[in-house]
Amino acid sequence: MPSFKLDGRDVEFSPGETVIEAARKAGVDIPHYCWHPGLSVAANCRMCLVEVGPPPGRPALMLNVLEYDAEKGEYIDAKKPKLQPSCQLGAVEGMEVKSESSEHVKRARAAVQEMLLLNHPVDCPICDQAGECRLQDYWLEHQSTDKRMKDETIRKPKAQDFGPTIVYDAERCIVCTRCIRFSEEIAKDPVLDLRDRGNLAEVVVAPGRELDHDYTLMTEHVCPVGALTAKDFRFKARVWFLRSSQSICQGCSTGCNAFLDYDPRDQTVYRHRPRENAEVNKFWMCDKGMLDYRRIHENRLLEPTISGKSADVGAALEKAVELLKDVDSDKLAVVLSAQHSNEDNFALLTLAQEHLGSKALFLAARPSGPADDILINADKNPNTAGATAVCGSTPPKSFSELLTAIGSGKISHVLALSADVEEDLSPLSDLKALVVLSTHDVGLAKAATVALPASSWAECDGTFVNEKGASQASESAIKPQGASRPAWKLAGAIGMRLGKSTPWKSLDDFRGAVNSDAAAAGVDVGVQPGASA
Amino acid sequence: MLKRTDYLTKNYGKPDGWTLAAYEAGGGYRGVRKALMMSPGAVVEETKKAHIRGRGGAGFDCGMKWSFMPKPSDKPHYLVVNADEGEPGTFKDRTIMEQNPHALIEGCIIGCYAMGAHTCYIYVRDELHLSKERLWAAIEEAKAKGYLGQRPFGKTYEVNIFVHTGAGAYICGEETALLNSLEGKRGQPRLKPPFPAQSGAFGMPTTVNNVETLAIVPTVFQLGGDAFSKLSALHHLNDGGTRLFGVSGHVKKPGVYECAVGLTLRELIFDLGGGVLDDRPLLGVVPGGSSCPVHLPDEIVNIPGERFEAYNGKCILDIPLGVDTFRGAGSMLGTCCAIVMSDAVDPVLALQNLMHFYRDESCGQCTPCREGCGWLERVVNKIVAGEGTMAELDQFHEIATNITGSTICAFGDGAAQPALAFIRRYRKNFEDYINNGAATQTRSLSL
Repeated sequence: MPSFKLDGRDVEFSPGETVIEAARKAGVDIPHYCWHPGLSVAANCRMCLVEVGPPPGRPALMLNVLEYDAEKGEYIDAKKPKLQPSCQLGAVEGMEVKSESSEHVKRARAAVQEMLLLNHPVDCPICDQAGECRLQDYWLEHQSTDKRMKDETIRKPKAQDFGPTIVYDAERCIVCTRCIRFSEEIAKDPVLDLRDRGNLAEVVVAPGRELDHDYTLMTEHVCPVGALTAKDFRFKARVWFLRSSQSICQGCSTGCNAFLDYDPRDQTVYRHRPRENAEVNKFWMCDKGMLDYRRIHENRLLEPTISGKSADVGAALEKAVELLKDVDSDKLAVVLSAQHSNEDNFALLTLAQEHLGSKALFLAARPSGPADDILINADKNPNTAGATAVCGSTPPKSFSELLTAIGSGKISHVLALSADVEEDLSPLSDLKALVVLSTHDVGLAKAATVALPASSWAECDGTFVNEKGASQASESAIKPQGASRPAWKLAGAIGMRLGKSTPWKSLDDFRGAVNSDAAAAGVDVGVQPGASA
Repeated sequence: MLKRTDYLTKNYGKPDGWTLAAYEAGGGYRGVRKALMMSPGAVVEETKKAHIRGRGGAGFDCGMKWSFMPKPSDKPHYLVVNADEGEPGTFKDRTIMEQNPHALIEGCIIGCYAMGAHTCYIYVRDELHLSKERLWAAIEEAKAKGYLGQRPFGKTYEVNIFVHTGAGAYICGEETALLNSLEGKRGQPRLKPPFPAQSGAFGMPTTVNNVETLAIVPTVFQLGGDAFSKLSALHHLNDGGTRLFGVSGHVKKPGVYECAVGLTLRELIFDLGGGVLDDRPLLGVVPGGSSCPVHLPDEIVNIPGERFEAYNGKCILDIPLGVDTFRGAGSMLGTCCAIVMSDAVDPVLALQNLMHFYRDESCGQCTPCREGCGWLERVVNKIVAGEGTMAELDQFHEIATNITGSTICAFGDGAAQPALAFIRRYRKNFEDYINNGAATQTRSLSL
């Protein structure tokens, strides 16, 4: 592999890569605002300037500048090298690049930083970006001097409504054009552009339009400063109180890698945002997926019910066992969920097949919805592939087929993992017993004879298989809410009460069992013990 | 060396001098006939021999630029004429468009033929209404004669010329911002590479030439490239031919004068310009458009390199106005349109005027220029208003230094260089504003 020298260190690169890209891969972060690995190069912030040695035998290009000798009271001619933006500069074999080791680069970065803050309001105390703002970070790293321009800053529009999700503050904007490039290049909707010029330039929405494509929240995430803020997150939390868990988006079967940002003090999730994965979602997520986190705290089933009345967990488990025990296994149907992890589905499947002897498998799922060719998949379930895979050679039938079977009297008892099904659930009233493990207080839970509260994906580790077959681990963020427990544990508890001991004490035990059982059945469900410890 | 010529200006000021008839009567449309008899490659070679240094300010060799165009392919090639003349103090291109538009048309046909282009866009600054009118009329006349269209001068090589008007932005005179504007995009300079010869207008191979550069090309083919180049006293420095010299400000006869290259500033100011207004002493001169550094009348130059030995130790006013001589002297020839200031000028106000211009015209793309130009103007404004401090004055050169070289295009340098030159040469005047108050100043930009 060819390489170049960056501050004396060898950095390898693939032909066609820029200096900043190659450095990033080598773990060296050259400071930048406008450059984004997923967007075109703008080279307008000038923060990533580096000094490049001239080709052999040629003098460096030097520019005439001035220094001032205060003692003598006279100006002195000085020279400075022409610096290059490393985001635009193609890496060349043997090239000598100085970043941190060049005094000229240090000065240029401090200057850019000073210029960016020249007309910035520095309203960090009321800015949602504070704590994760490039201006703050780079001020510390590259400037750390007082502001020399003491006059009134330029006034520009503040708190402008850009659309249903985003608010824009032109005074905080550094005109890096990331949001504009994102909308044009990734969301394929060139709805943003610049207005005016010079230090009056600001981002605007196209006349007659709103910023309302399916990826508007991404503009806030690509914004390196507090110019764009999300209405959903504004003034809700200070980021330094938040912790992040590595989750998988539940919005559709693309399986975007994400961070769930939560406050451990109040066990509340505040934000869902993209996590880089070159294979799946690159750097992006859609609005629906990012806002899907709100379901963690909305309409949850937090305590068990028996015939619609609240009960404690022990009583509910007893009741469930009573209802399921000694049922004619031909009349017992088991419903897996495309919205639950492999772990939950596998535990229920084990309970159904090994302990209850049921052979009728069905799959509950959210109905399909709109799709695009960017990230959004028509299958609105995060684990259709995984829930199908755990069943091995006999794939589950659809939920509507279950309803038909109930209607024709073939099925009288159902044990189900819930999903946001939209079918007409009235046939369920014909059942003798319906035991549902559900995260939310949805139709299936409401119709249940016994409903047991299951933990959502934010509260337990799980594995989800996306539409391309990639098995991905999702980490828990907060503790199980209310009386909820992971569905796989609830399934184990029912099994125990049926007198069938299960050796699962921890998630790792369980995952070991999942893998060996699945392997025995010739299925790869990709559940890794300890993968998300 | 003062040697006046009239290749471009012979019809200036004559009644109907801009018409096709007048142009042909003066020998026009002969160069193109010669050029079309040659191969395109030979036309480029002949142009190289003429050593026409780009007249737009950068001084790049025209024939060399043409030779960078790729070989003809299935991609269309374009010739784009930069007629967005907006540099303060520069007003030479508009005289060509207004009084000798056919020279430009003829140059465009030759340029298109040399570079495999069939379409030429002339991007005219919007405010130049008469220029647009005369160009449109000239194109119609040339079309009617069959000089433009399918078979110019009987040669099967289609050439069409379109006038495109700008929308009032100085930055659109930067060639890649011009191309963006031509395409209907925001007028912001593009990143280079790719250079226009690889990917220019509409992503196709493009050459952008200044009006005067193209307008002099027909003369090259009438005289022969070498003969044209030798008209210049700087032929040995590959700076050939003749060009338009402008002089404005405090001179008795401001205007545009056509001379052989080799003219000095002293000749331009005192012989052609008639001397400083009211015969006052000279305070300073900006050699070529407002982006060039200002010089004191008694500056002595010292240009490194053997080729320039003859000029060392001479006054800046006495060295020939050439691309390399002025670059070597730490200055810039620019558009060769000098701005002359007599001692009645308050240099602080002059700089304020310039800084206001650059703050207003910065496109806002790169941080150092966007914010730096505004900061420079702020500091000067405060000094002029009597609110400046020595601390701010001491920062002034740092701001300009930090802008220099740190931007995508040359605008940043174009704003920083005059700032550095003024502060360096007239710091005492700035200090006087701060120490003795703004009220005591002459506050004069004119007489």
